[in-house]
Amino acid sequence: MTKWFGETTALDGVDLTVGGGDVHGLLGPNGAGKTTLLSALFGLVLPDEGTIRLFGRTRAQAGAGWLDGVGGFVETPRFYPYLSGRRNLAVLAGLDGGDAASLIDSALERAGLDGPAARQKVRGYSLGMRQRLGLAAAVIRRPRLLILDEPANGMDPAGIRDLRTALRRVAADGVTVILSSHDMAQVEEICDSATILSAGRVAVTGRLRALRAVAPDSVWRMRTSDDGRALGLATELAGVKAAAADCSGLDGGGLVVHAAQGEMDGYVLALGAASVAVRGLELDRTPLEALFFQLTDGAAKTAHVEVHQ
Amino acid sequence: MSLAAEPWPAYDGRDAPATVGQRGRVAGTMAVWRVELVKLSGKILIRAIFMLSVIGPFLVVGFLNLQSATPGDTPFGQWVHTSGFAIPMTILGFGGQWILPALTGVVAGDIYSAEDHLGTWKTILTRSRGRGQLFAGKFLAAATFAVAVLLVLTVTDLAAGLAAGRSPVVGLSGQLVPAGHATWLVAVSYLSDLPPLLGFTALAVLLSVASRNSVVGIGGTVVIGVAFQIVTLANMPQWGQQALLSTPFMAWHGFWGAPAFYGPFLWSLLTCAAWFVACSAVAWLIFRSRTIEAAA
Repeated sequence: MTKWFGETTALDGVDLTVGGGDVHGLLGPNGAGKTTLLSALFGLVLPDEGTIRLFGRTRAQAGAGWLDGVGGFVETPRFYPYLSGRRNLAVLAGLDGGDAASLIDSALERAGLDGPAARQKVRGYSLGMRQRLGLAAAVIRRPRLLILDEPANGMDPAGIRDLRTALRRVAADGVTVILSSHDMAQVEEICDSATILSAGRVAVTGRLRALRAVAPDSVWRMRTSDDGRALGLATELAGVKAAAADCSGLDGGGLVVHAAQGEMDGYVLALGAASVAVRGLELDRTPLEALFFQLTDGAAKTAHVEVHQ
Repeated sequence: MSLAAEPWPAYDGRDAPATVGQRGRVAGTMAVWRVELVKLSGKILIRAIFMLSVIGPFLVVGFLNLQSATPGDTPFGQWVHTSGFAIPMTILGFGGQWILPALTGVVAGDIYSAEDHLGTWKTILTRSRGRGQLFAGKFLAAATFAVAVLLVLTVTDLAAGLAAGRSPVVGLSGQLVPAGHATWLVAVSYLSDLPPLLGFTALAVLLSVASRNSVVGIGGTVVIGVAFQIVTLANMPQWGQQALLSTPFMAWHGFWGAPAFYGPFLWSLLTCAAWFVACSAVAWLIFRSRTIEAAA
């Protein structure tokens, strides 16, 4: 699909298929078109060119039932501030019809908003509570497709862990999840496939394993007892590229190493054998992160990578 | 329990029944209407309006009893101390042209734009309801509020008048109208304001949809109502007067003549229908193709 907002091309020929039961990550820098794409999936934004099919049906074919079984939210979930959390869900259940109203209590409990929080007016909710209410609002739709835009925003670490587990679980039950996120670690942990958008175009899309295969090596930050010798050793090993880190960094000094996991293991063992102690080792960029920056940094915004599944 | 504690409720494989077919669309519209009424009932302002509509007329009666002067510049104003039936008609004549548009503007001028202000279009448009159902359901809720307020005012204004006295009242041709007939005429006069009230409801809906701003939706309705009244004072041709949406608020004058005449009321039906259809159609054309952006 293509979408223009005046002179701005928000989405430029985006062509994407997400398989049933997949957790699909949608990545991209600010302004890449992620929110516009998710909004279009919900019918909030109408394509200027192209079509969107949910479960094989276009909006024109499905009518008002197009979003049946589709739950989730775009940007921060919004509710009526003068109503309680429970009353807000009752309003939405009223729109949904069916047995949605009977699912409210369990959805609130599942989202950790039962008890006093359910009776509290939403104007007093924190960002994390509104995210949770957004998830509860998705639960009562009995979703077969979950569309979530930065769902972990404002959540505490326990909530984020719970959310990740829940998304893997619903996917295992056959629910398709489309997840927009800036959190690469979250995407790598829970997604089966991903798309990187850049300047409104699909820069790359595919299964995560296939994306890793075309991605640059991981980037590591390393501190050793003898950086000079460590640099020398790196030149002797295939698949390992090391350079002195920018000393202006807060942690200062050390090495920046580009290497895949296996080569990095060999490098660390070689350092040990050469009596160079590794005092610190940190994964700075995963392959997916490296691919993201390669495709979305400055001049590379029009880059496109072909992925063989 | 936590998000991951148990399997989520599974999709049951059926489209929501209220989305299928013509009956489904009607059912969907009624679902939106019910939801909007629930939302309205949760607003303090709406409760305050109904409370004021109930006690306001009695406060007016109390205020009139405290002073010997009469509001002589409005029809029936000079009779407020001699007949209780003059009181609801004075309220209708004095405030009908701007109080009623303002009251319907409070809901109709806000019911669409409030979703823009709160950023909740995204929330309700991502449920299983089409834009047509949402538009119609909201419109119905705004109209329901307008009708409900008018009915409450009809009953409470008449009750306040009856509480003040049930003497016959002098009609607009100087004839004496007995209490029984006067009761009927008061009720019919109030109900004759329904067509222009619904016309203003449609106008407020248009302002709310087009501006996406409740200040414009509510304030614009009041300002346009006042502007119509000012224009009425100008030396306009009769067809121009009849085309104004405020003129039908005075159509009840004919009911109180001897003999009664109904031409202005019938003409007002045409005027109000034209405004209603035009404003509703333009509002729908704007609404159906708009893009939903992030909240302001």
